[in-house]
Amino acid sequence: MRETDISVKEILTVFLKIGTFAFGGVYSMLAFFEREIVTKRAWINHDAFAESIVIGQLTPGAPIVNTGIFIGYMLKKVRGALATVVGQVLPSFVLVLIIAYLYIKYKDYVLLRAALKGVGAAVVGLIASVVYNMSNKSLKNYTSIIFAICAFIALAIFKFNPILLIIVAGIAGSIMFGKNVGHGNP
Amino acid sequence: MGILNFFWTLFYINLFTIGGGYVMIPLLQQEVVNHYHWLTEKEFIDSIAIGQVTPGPLTIMNSFIGYKIFGLGGALGAAISTYLPSVIIVIGVSHYYLQFKNSVLVNSIFQGIRPAVIGLLAAVALTLGRASIIDVPTGAIALVSFALLVFVKVEPTFVILGAAITGMLLCS
Repeated sequence: MRETDISVKEILTVFLKIGTFAFGGVYSMLAFFEREIVTKRAWINHDAFAESIVIGQLTPGAPIVNTGIFIGYMLKKVRGALATVVGQVLPSFVLVLIIAYLYIKYKDYVLLRAALKGVGAAVVGLIASVVYNMSNKSLKNYTSIIFAICAFIALAIFKFNPILLIIVAGIAGSIMFGKNVGHGNP
Repeated sequence: MGILNFFWTLFYINLFTIGGGYVMIPLLQQEVVNHYHWLTEKEFIDSIAIGQVTPGPLTIMNSFIGYKIFGLGGALGAAISTYLPSVIIVIGVSHYYLQFKNSVLVNSIFQGIRPAVIGLLAAVALTLGRASIIDVPTGAIALVSFALLVFVKVEPTFVILGAAITGMLLCS
């Protein structure tokens, strides 16, 4: 990978735009990335974009942020990578500070408490919808269904530490699936 | 030093947030609510909602949590502790991405983690549901939200804003 002529400032500007306007789920954000970076500016081609998505999902942290880091690093090394993080995070960071300030100041107001009561219920629906969508995508055989059920029971009933459960699941996966390659596309 | 402990907690949680921003939720719940008692279950639910309503990644909710507990420094440090490990690891991996992407070991580890994460999130939905679905209106909001997200594919931001307005109308 070699550095490009694109300036860090340009990278920062584009990612600030992404960070400000990319609402919603992973797919709407990826579509935004694709339009801004691949189609409009041709900074990277579609193959490199596909690679950046895969890397984003195979590395720890928020996949979208990681995809951005990978793209930024391809364009302008470490400074490019940092510019994508600042761009993606800064707008929501400022917004979060404002909301946090208001949240603490007005948290005893009846109307805000009522709104948060509704929001709390919606969050449960949201997480359930993530479970539903991920199950449709990833629970394709009995082994994976058993993995999911075991993890559920271990956390919901036995209150095991979830980090420990992720480590155990990773080790179990490497033992059980280590020999049949090719099913693991994210 | 509580604040350093908080940053360290976010740092290692992020190392294990593998396969999506939502994976962070069970890990955060364990450390921030159950272990350190920095937030109540209700405040934790509010943090998720705020992470979801704002543009950009859900993981920005860590900055909300940081502000709530330690103020501005907590918010800033939370952002750094959350994104710094990613920067280091992604840059490290990018030099070897072809080997990494095609590695049998990496892929088989993911085949184990991905379904387990689904089970973990289902358990989170259960515990958060017990805390926030307390009457008929909240039950209805949860069901309608689920249906809108899964079947109509409405953006989560709008679902949460809609739920806030519905909450004001029904629950106050």
